[in-house]
Amino acid sequence: MQRDSRGRPSGDGSEGPADAGRRLFAEYETRPAFYDEMFEASGVPRAHCRQLCEALDEMRPAEIAAMQEYAERSFLHQGITFAVYGEDGAQERIIPIDFLPRLVDAADWDLVERGLRQRLEALNRFLADVYGPGRILEDGVVPVDMVRGCPQYRVEMRGLEVPHGVYVALCGTDIVRTNDGFVVLEDNLRVPSGVSYMLANRRALKTSLRNLFRRHHVRGIEHYGQLLRQTLTELAPPGVSDPCIVLLTPGVYNSAFYEHMFLAQEMGVELVQGSDLLVHNGFVYMRTTAGLKKVDVIYRRIDDDFIDPLAFRPDSQLGTPGLFYAYRLGNVTIANAPGTGVADDKSVYVYVPDMIRYYLGEEPLLANVDTRLCREPEGLEYTLDNLDKLVVKMVGESGGYGMLVGPHATPDQRAAYAEELRKNPANYVSQPVLDLSVSPCLTETGAAPRHVDLRPFVLRGNETRLVPGAFCRVALVEGSLVVNSSQGGGGKDLWVLSE
Amino acid sequence: MLSRTAEGLYWMARYLERAQNGCRLLAEQFIIIEDRPVEQIDQSWRRLYIAAGRTPLGGHLEPPPDDEDFMLADAYTLADDLTFEPTNPDAIRNCFAAARESARQVRNIIPDKMWSALNLAYFDLRDVEIENIWNDQPGTFYERTEGAIRTISGVAEGTIYRDDGWHFLQLGRFVERVQSTAALMDAHIALFPTDAPDCEADWLSLLWISEAHFAYRRLYSLERSPSRMVDFLVTDPSLSHSIRHALGRIVDALDAVAVGPALKIEAERRAGRMVASIDHDWPDRDRWDDDATRAALREIGESCRLLHQDIAAAYFNYEIKDAP
Repeated sequence: MQRDSRGRPSGDGSEGPADAGRRLFAEYETRPAFYDEMFEASGVPRAHCRQLCEALDEMRPAEIAAMQEYAERSFLHQGITFAVYGEDGAQERIIPIDFLPRLVDAADWDLVERGLRQRLEALNRFLADVYGPGRILEDGVVPVDMVRGCPQYRVEMRGLEVPHGVYVALCGTDIVRTNDGFVVLEDNLRVPSGVSYMLANRRALKTSLRNLFRRHHVRGIEHYGQLLRQTLTELAPPGVSDPCIVLLTPGVYNSAFYEHMFLAQEMGVELVQGSDLLVHNGFVYMRTTAGLKKVDVIYRRIDDDFIDPLAFRPDSQLGTPGLFYAYRLGNVTIANAPGTGVADDKSVYVYVPDMIRYYLGEEPLLANVDTRLCREPEGLEYTLDNLDKLVVKMVGESGGYGMLVGPHATPDQRAAYAEELRKNPANYVSQPVLDLSVSPCLTETGAAPRHVDLRPFVLRGNETRLVPGAFCRVALVEGSLVVNSSQGGGGKDLWVLSE
Repeated sequence: MLSRTAEGLYWMARYLERAQNGCRLLAEQFIIIEDRPVEQIDQSWRRLYIAAGRTPLGGHLEPPPDDEDFMLADAYTLADDLTFEPTNPDAIRNCFAAARESARQVRNIIPDKMWSALNLAYFDLRDVEIENIWNDQPGTFYERTEGAIRTISGVAEGTIYRDDGWHFLQLGRFVERVQSTAALMDAHIALFPTDAPDCEADWLSLLWISEAHFAYRRLYSLERSPSRMVDFLVTDPSLSHSIRHALGRIVDALDAVAVGPALKIEAERRAGRMVASIDHDWPDRDRWDDDATRAALREIGESCRLLHQDIAAAYFNYEIKDAP
């Protein structure tokens, strides 16, 4: 049988003798160290997965592989791609899809949803506080120097009123599950991406596995674009009833350009680049074929640094001069607000549970990863003593940069890293290696467990909204814990079941 | 509509039209190659190159076409140059890639089905080289590629909402058509004067390239006169590849786009003058004076170039004096 690069059966529908009669889950084994999303034990599906398992088991693996391949081909044709930059310039790649959906039952989702609402509420209050009165800093709950010294802290935002006190209008929170339950890995509060792949994966599965889909009571996520538009409409500057909303993209060479254009399409708003906008008399306009048109709300997919060369990085080619000035005057809304990055800094992250207690008087519903701050002597000592067991991260970085995965590093690498760490401990945090849950994925030998996480997307306008779904990332390589799309990760559809 | 979006659509349509023209010209060229004497094949290559304003690799266009240097290259090299040559911006594949890139920039307002059609055709074309098409029938490659572009236009026709985006697509397509038709006819008359003997097959090929043969036969089956053909291709408003028809579509599109800044009036006036000139001045010219005809065609080409500038100045990069 032909195998593709991932070792899956090729999608020609033919099966060699060795495959005859093989069932999808015949050789599937659970491992106690990892929570299995579908099985309680080998051969014993969880209650909410039983129906799906039986239905999938009746299909031939090659049949599913063929559907999967068809879906991936149509992703490519439709341009559902992200750009990867390498020696040959930019390449358009798809995020591979694994066709075996991950199921989440109503009770689990309820917990995740309530936990996310709680978390976003606290984070928005925190941002309003640190750019406003600074109570939480005065009360010593979060260290002042950690916040004010954070590179993502924007002093330009001090004392600024933002509509409805909403700094973070959209976030994409990374959540994993271990044997101890759900854990928040990080809050992405700047320009989170991935929601378009969530919707594309759903569309692909819904088309191919129509009957299967219909039999389950899967909650819909297709209205995300409407919710997003509703949210942005509510955040318009005071007095603007029918705001002109635009999505600001760095352009076609950005790796998430597909998503930018997809969301603009879903919302029915213009997709603009910095050069399409100009600021005049403190208002923002876009250049249209019928002259200049006033812009009220900007959903920006550009980092803070690049939105306005006059306010932030002067060498930015992507931004619009004067945009931040118009924002300060309250004539335009920028979502997310500049400066939200201070709340998803990896050391500030440690204090999110405290923020929830401080602002809301509640206990956090979703746990944090047990994280140690190397700025604190005991944290540093523990980290250095256990370097071979820990993951060490730099606080300002994301996407896996500047990270040491202790158990996978050589003694030399660990020693070199330790030396850097000692020079500037405040720049580091450490965490235990997490036992990410697994979910069955299609491989050449039928289904096999692979590690997964999930990224739900939460919106905040007048109220908090989210669709019951998430971009479920999966590490397609056996044993790998890396789910990042740029490093061999794929996606899965996540089905949230109603009762 | 965003100016940048309108410009992207305009250029996408221009490049697609240019690629489609290239396909039709080369498809016809490979039919000519089949059964015509060498000199005539040479002449028809020349026609292609003069119309494109390009010098073939290893040759040059001036001094005039009878210079032997001109035909240094063989069909393989010439077809490669016009189809795949990376440094030739008007090579079919480059036009197609440019059309796709323009489309990608404005992907959010292009219907999914249209993008898929465009993207599929692009993937088909992207990795092909001249040697891949040569061993088979090269002509079928051009027919197939032209068919793919026709499919894209058809999907566009069937899916695009008729707002400004559509009108800018029409503008791009027909501005390109006016320019390329005028240039092709100018080159054709230079090589095959209207009173030259034994050129009937070449004139018929001009009709084929211009999608005019069926209509011409129906209307003038007994009158195979070059000057009749020239008039037909320039003035008949009902012939989709005639200059007059394309100008009519330009006028309609300019009329339909939302009222823009003041400069719009310049483009409308110029297009109106071009129509009037064909309707009223063209018939007065001396039909047997090829120089006068060619001068008139060049005048049309030049006006069209200015029309492009008017459109860009009115909609794409207009000067901003005072914000509202």
